[in-house]
This record gives sequence, C-alpha cells and structure tokens, in this order.
Amino acid sequence: MTPPDPIIRLESVYTAYEGADRPTLTDVSLAIEKGEFVVIGGPNGAGKTTLLETINGMLPITHGMATVCGQDVRKNGVQVRCRVGYLLQSFAFDPLTPFTVEEVVLMGRFGTIGLFRKPKKEDYEAVQGALSLLGIEDLAARPIGKLSGGQQQKVLMAQNLARNPEVLLLDEPFSNLDMFAREEINRLLAGLVGDGVTVLIVSHAFDDLPERAVRVVVMQEGTIVVNRECSPGEVEQVVRNAGREALHA
Amino acid sequence: MLEFLIQNNIVCHAVEAMLFASIACAILSVIITQVQISSIGFTMAHAAFAGAAVGMFLSLNPTVCSIVAGIGVAFLIGPLSDKARLSPDTSLGLLFGICMAVAIFFIAYMQTLGRGFSTMGLLFGDVISLYREEIYLLVVICIVAVAFVLVLYKEITAIIFNKRIAESVGIRVKPVYYAMLFMIALTVSLCLPIIGGLLLYVWLVIPAAIALQFCNRLSSMFVVAPAVAAVVSVSGALIGLEYSLPVAPLTAIIFSVVFIVAVILSPRRRVTFRKT
Repeated sequence: MTPPDPIIRLESVYTAYEGADRPTLTDVSLAIEKGEFVVIGGPNGAGKTTLLETINGMLPITHGMATVCGQDVRKNGVQVRCRVGYLLQSFAFDPLTPFTVEEVVLMGRFGTIGLFRKPKKEDYEAVQGALSLLGIEDLAARPIGKLSGGQQQKVLMAQNLARNPEVLLLDEPFSNLDMFAREEINRLLAGLVGDGVTVLIVSHAFDDLPERAVRVVVMQEGTIVVNRECSPGEVEQVVRNAGREALHA
Repeated sequence: MLEFLIQNNIVCHAVEAMLFASIACAILSVIITQVQISSIGFTMAHAAFAGAAVGMFLSLNPTVCSIVAGIGVAFLIGPLSDKARLSPDTSLGLLFGICMAVAIFFIAYMQTLGRGFSTMGLLFGDVISLYREEIYLLVVICIVAVAFVLVLYKEITAIIFNKRIAESVGIRVKPVYYAMLFMIALTVSLCLPIIGGLLLYVWLVIPAAIALQFCNRLSSMFVVAPAVAAVVSVSGALIGLEYSLPVAPLTAIIFSVVFIVAVILSPRRRVTFRKT
C-alpha cells in the first residue's frame, strides 16, 4: 500500500515580498503528514511567519511548487485558505471597533460560506462550538475592542476553529496568554492533533508542548536548517543547538 | 417624488437631491471611516472635481469626466505607491495636489477666456438648478449603494475588521476592495454638482463619525449614519432655501454641530459601573 500524500508539501520554494530585491524564503522543501504537530523555531527575521504565509498562499511563490490539502497553493490560494486556519501574530483592536465577539468568530466561516451567500444555522452552530471549546461563550455579545489582549487572542483562535480547519497555522499563539490559558490552549491543540488536524506553531515558548512526538523545524535566514522528529522535552535544546551552530558557522 | 409634501418645485427638487445624495454618501462614509481610507475619499472627491472642470473646458459631459477621473485616481494609488516606492499617504498627497492644480488651472483659464462659467457650483454645490434626470440618477446611486452593502455585507465587514484576517479566512479581498473604491468614485462624481468638491468630504466622513458615537455594531452604523445624514441634509436644504442661505455650506456646518453634540452625549465614552 502506498503511503498517503503529505498534507503540506513544499518543493524548492522561493518566496519574495512585493517590491523586495531578494527572496525571503530560499529553496525551502518540507513534507508534513496529516495529524503532525510541528514546532517552528529560529531567530527573529529567520522567515518563520513567511513560511506560514507561503503555506496558506498569502505570499506569492516566485519559484518551486507547494501543495496543501491536495491543492496547488499558487493556483488555488483562496480554496486553500478556506481549509487552513491561520492565527496571525499579536493584535490589538481599538476599543471602538464595532464588532462583537460572535461576529468576529463568524468571520472565520465567511470563506467557506462563499460570495453573495448568507450565514446559515450550521454556521452559527459552528461559532457556538468554537466559543465553547475555548470557554468564552460568555463573551459572545461583548465588543472585541473592550477585551484584554489574551481574550482577544482566544477570540481569534475561536475564529480559526469555527471553520473546522484541516491544518492550523499558529504564529506566536501564546504571546498574550497567562500560564493557565497556555495550558488550556495546549490541551486543546493536543486534542485537535489527536483528531487528525495538522498543527504548525511558531513559538519561543517550548515548555508546555503536548506530550507526544513533535516535528521541529528550525529556520535561519529564510531557509530550513533543521527538520526532524523529537520528543517535546528536546525541542528547546534542538532550537538552541541550531542557533549556536549558526553563530559558529 | 416628494411633490405631495412640498408644493414649491425648486424646494422639492433641492430636498430630494440632498436626501438621496446624503443617504448614498453616508452609507459609503461607514466604509470609508471604518476601512480608514478617508484620505482616498478626499483625493477621489478632488479628482472628480478636476475631472468635471476638464469636462466643462472640453465641452464634454462633466459628470462622466468626473467619474472617469475619480476611478482613474482610485486605480492609480496602488501602482504609484509601488513603482515610485512611496507610502500610500505620500501618493495620496501627491495626487490630491495634482488634482487641485488641474481643477484650478482649468477653472481660472475658462474665466480668462470669458466663457462665463461660474466656479461656485463646482466648489460649493448647487441644489436649485438640477434637472429631474439628475435626481433620478441620485435615486439610482442610492439604491446601488444600499444593494452593494447588502450583497457584499460579509466581505465588507471582514475587510473593515482587518484586511489580512479577511484574506486569511478565504475572502477575495482585492476585488471587493476595488469594488468599494469604484462605488466611492461613482457616488462622489454624481453628488459633486449638488454638494460641491470642497464640501463633499463632510458627507463622506461625518455621518459615520456621528453613528460611531452611539453604535456598538457595524450593522447599526449602516442604519444610523444614513438616517442622521438624511435628517441633517433635508433640514439644511429647507432652512437654507427659506432664509436664502447657501445650502451645502450651511448643511456642512449643521453636520459639524451635530457631531460635536454626539461626542458630548456619546454613551460609548462614558465610564459607568453598577454596584451590586
């Protein structure tokens, strides 16, 4: 029996920001199986966020091939984004932002609902499900701008979960969270991975990773320098060693 | 349309024009202020102004010329920023300056040539010399603006919330964003003869700014902003014509007063807590 295709496959991918003189990602190749938990580490400016935005098709691929959930990212970026959740790096919303938590979480389903169509009962049920997964049902009617940074981050997490993603890309998801919220999110992520969701997480906090084998990817100057499986306890050491080797190279 | 309420034909036309222009502008003002593209609205208003001036000079239809100029500027902002490596803010400043220069040049040149063209209508608006067809056109743009928001409501709300998040959830941000700019250009151009190039900006910003003082939700802003704009604009037209005052400038002043009162009364800025 042939093994299933990886859910994320990048082959010699180069990515450049609009107007940039040189590529931000250089010759990146990566294959990730369904249900893997991937930790992406590396120094600031190494290309970690760029890697996530290349995977979900928000950045143009100048060379190479990328497929996610069986779709060509270059041709079907919008379709890919409907199946991939992406939690952007830290956000702060204005206190006068005229949106309630429920409205923000519902936006997570807009891509899948489609153009010119209105949300249906099942969309509102998915919103309630995502809110209760994160334990923030009581915030549903509150304006998002009036919440704390940690609560806002949970709302954006719920927005991503509301569309039942096959792949979840998380960029510094713990940056605004207290230790209790971190544990809660980690338990949630472990459950999602157990259900077959593929999780890629950019983080500098490696102490609360789920108790299971993880893949660690370390980036330096727009390229992958380490890509291997290890136990959660080893992740910090692997990232540190890669950093030291880069310094001495 | 409102002849059963207002017998005087001139007053009736003026009230109708102000009513429909204000509703269309107020709906777009919610988009303009919440997507934070008020500089784009400002520049497009002046581009339409320049287009109308050029149209009059060349004896072409000024409304069509202002639509073309407004849309042209909207589509120039992005490429100009990229190619000239300028910030969007600088590009807008540049385009605004060029548009003003073109408009003033042609208006001044026409006066030198003695073509008897009064610039006041283009600058400050003119509500009493409108044709019935122009009012019908305003009704159409009003309906189109309402339909635009109803049909693309989810996409518009997501873009207003955050463009990058909207893109990440699978919305085609660019086409919707350009459709917004197109709607602004169209509305600005059709309202230009009534409100005037220099005052149009008031209608494109203040209604939403007033609504924001009282509304927690975007959906309510889309109702409150046009309602306030309609009441203020009709009042401005009636008072202005009754006391022979310039209608559009008077209405702009009433808008400003209502905005100040709204800020003072705004429950959103009040700090309240209940002791249980």
